[in-house]
Amino acid sequence: MDLTDKEYVERCRDGHQDDFRLLVDRYQKPLFSFLAGRLRDSLLVEEAAQESFVRAFLSLKKLRKPESFYSWLLGIAGRVAKEQLRSLKHRQQDCEVTESIMANAADSRDDYPLEEAIAALPETYRQVILLRYYEGLSCQEIATRLALPLGTVTKTLSRAYTLLRQELAARESAETTVNQT
Amino acid sequence: MNCAECRENLVACVEGLLDREESLQCQAHLETCAACRAEHAAITCLQQQLVARGPATAEVSIIGPVMRRVHAIQTEREGNSIMTKLFTRWGFGLSAAAGAAAIILIAFLVFPKAQATAAEVMTKGAQAMAKLTSIHLRGQLRTEPQDNFSYINADCPFYTIELWKQFEPELKWRAEKPGRVAVMDGQSTVLYIKAANYGARFPHPSPSAFDTDWLQRIANLSNTISNELNRAQAKGWKLDTTEESAANGRVKSIVTIHAKSGIPENDYGKNSFFDNADTRRVYRFDAQTKLLEAVQVYLVRPSGETLIFDLSQIDFNQPIDPGLWKLELPADVSWSQEPQKLPDNEKYTSMTAEQAARAFLEACAREDWNEAGKFMSPITDSLKEYLGGLEIVSLGESFTSKAYGGRFVPYEIKLQPQVFNVRVSNTNAAKRCVVTGMYDSKLRLQQDFKWSTEPEVLTNNDAYARLSPKEAAQAYFDAQSKLDWVEMRKFTSESDVEETRKQIEAAEKQGMDVHKLMPVMEAGEATWSAEQSAWFVKCRVSQTKKWNLAIRKDNPAGRWQVDGGF
Repeated sequence: MDLTDKEYVERCRDGHQDDFRLLVDRYQKPLFSFLAGRLRDSLLVEEAAQESFVRAFLSLKKLRKPESFYSWLLGIAGRVAKEQLRSLKHRQQDCEVTESIMANAADSRDDYPLEEAIAALPETYRQVILLRYYEGLSCQEIATRLALPLGTVTKTLSRAYTLLRQELAARESAETTVNQT
Repeated sequence: MNCAECRENLVACVEGLLDREESLQCQAHLETCAACRAEHAAITCLQQQLVARGPATAEVSIIGPVMRRVHAIQTEREGNSIMTKLFTRWGFGLSAAAGAAAIILIAFLVFPKAQATAAEVMTKGAQAMAKLTSIHLRGQLRTEPQDNFSYINADCPFYTIELWKQFEPELKWRAEKPGRVAVMDGQSTVLYIKAANYGARFPHPSPSAFDTDWLQRIANLSNTISNELNRAQAKGWKLDTTEESAANGRVKSIVTIHAKSGIPENDYGKNSFFDNADTRRVYRFDAQTKLLEAVQVYLVRPSGETLIFDLSQIDFNQPIDPGLWKLELPADVSWSQEPQKLPDNEKYTSMTAEQAARAFLEACAREDWNEAGKFMSPITDSLKEYLGGLEIVSLGESFTSKAYGGRFVPYEIKLQPQVFNVRVSNTNAAKRCVVTGMYDSKLRLQQDFKWSTEPEVLTNNDAYARLSPKEAAQAYFDAQSKLDWVEMRKFTSESDVEETRKQIEAAEKQGMDVHKLMPVMEAGEATWSAEQSAWFVKCRVSQTKKWNLAIRKDNPAGRWQVDGGF
């Protein structure tokens, strides 16, 4: 039976560090998508994703709201990606590759707010979105996996879409305000 | 269908979950209602963005690498391992040397004078090698030929170990010892173990892999310096420098590092791998050229020091044969695969280490290789032959080692009798039947016994000369099981006796009851081979094995996987 993020984080803190694997399993794919929007180069993305999880593990005791693990992880990943871009800039000797990655990263930075919006969802909705789109499960398979009626899954998905759209719209509006000022 | 019903069913409609009638009703409503149509379009648009995520991340799996780093950090945090903190980033050439220089500067500020001098000698060595394009190391290591690249055993003889490393234009390397080879050709990284016909590969280039780290570190002196000095500073290791004049008058600067693993003396894993051992590392530099010329590593134990690694050949910037980056492998290699989640994965993840060890051994006992394969990959033919039909005598409570990320499960098993052949010949001056080689059940040569001198004529030679090939083979086995080395010498070569004696002594040192565990060997019928001018005696061996199964679960599937211990 899958536990919640909060339960896994608490188990890791209580000495069951092997359970961190389950958090990696749950979020590695959306984290890749999130980092791919910032770095694009697949090797850099993989390196940054590993680094983000390892830093998260090291700081797990500092996480105030264990239920917000994923959004906290994205914060760490954002900083790791920035560090990587800075480091790339300093290594201008390998200019062609670097420039292409930098250019891609600059172009794409705003293309992937979706993962941040997913992180803002309550866990029940986030779980269904992750299983449906990042794990590629059908609604029926999700229902079996979570031991829920199929109707509950479609209703949860429906609510998740609404919340996601609201979150994306709020982000867009905030950004427009910032750009205007 | 009204708006409320349509909105409620919209996701089911988009997902194709409505029956035909409901679907038609929904479509009909959408055609007439602009608001619901807009909602439908918004959901479809969002869904398309989400759907694009799936294929882009379908192959992503970083659980293994992340958990390996997490375990390494845990061990490090506990202060239990000096060298397990892996060097995940490798810099080469000038930038790496510059990094090392910065660390050296810090070292100078805080280190005592002797340590600063040692740091200075090593820094100059790194600077002399700043334009390194390739390196070849050839040394001798006390190890088992087919075992892990970092496996050390002070009781083993020396075996050659080599590393070829090309830094430019593209990083490539090859590490090799008699029974094991690993090659990184710039595209992928492959390990091959000859005796087991076992392979493992990563589909990407790796700066270091398959436990070659310790050797790769020596190949990149700038890293060695920064890491050794960092460690020395953090852990309070002693560094000292001396100078000596060689016979040709050249002055050598010698830096000695006294490295402590931090692993307790009574820990099971202590001193079994290069990075888990307390060592004295001696680096010799030519005072004039500043180049590193030799490295000796001594295992330091309460009983004294033993030289375990002797590196005397270091070739800088010499052309490397491109053929070394190619591995010619048999077509039927058993390839290792990272365990994937099973439909009933939870059944296995909820097992304790002891339960997993039992399930694995029981699967081997009934030769259910599909089930055994859930605990180990790959199950090679040689492993099937070895473990198939075993009988479990006992399993103990698992224990851990500070040097290992998994657990050890003590076990005692009776192995199925196995057939092998002994080659016996009496074409010698003493006219006695003696053993000249070992063959497997299919008459494939396993070991050719090297006789440095002819069998001598014994005082009671006639009695031995009257023994048939079968009787001679049995007498050889009996002497071996009684650990009667003098008697054994009458039937086999000096080197065979020596090797057997060393193996027995090593097993005794590891706490095995060798008298109880000695294999029971039975000689059978003999067949004459005109081609080899020798008899082949068909033999059977029954053996009880008592050891510790190494088992770990830091893999994406979270199942216990047998790592070794046979």
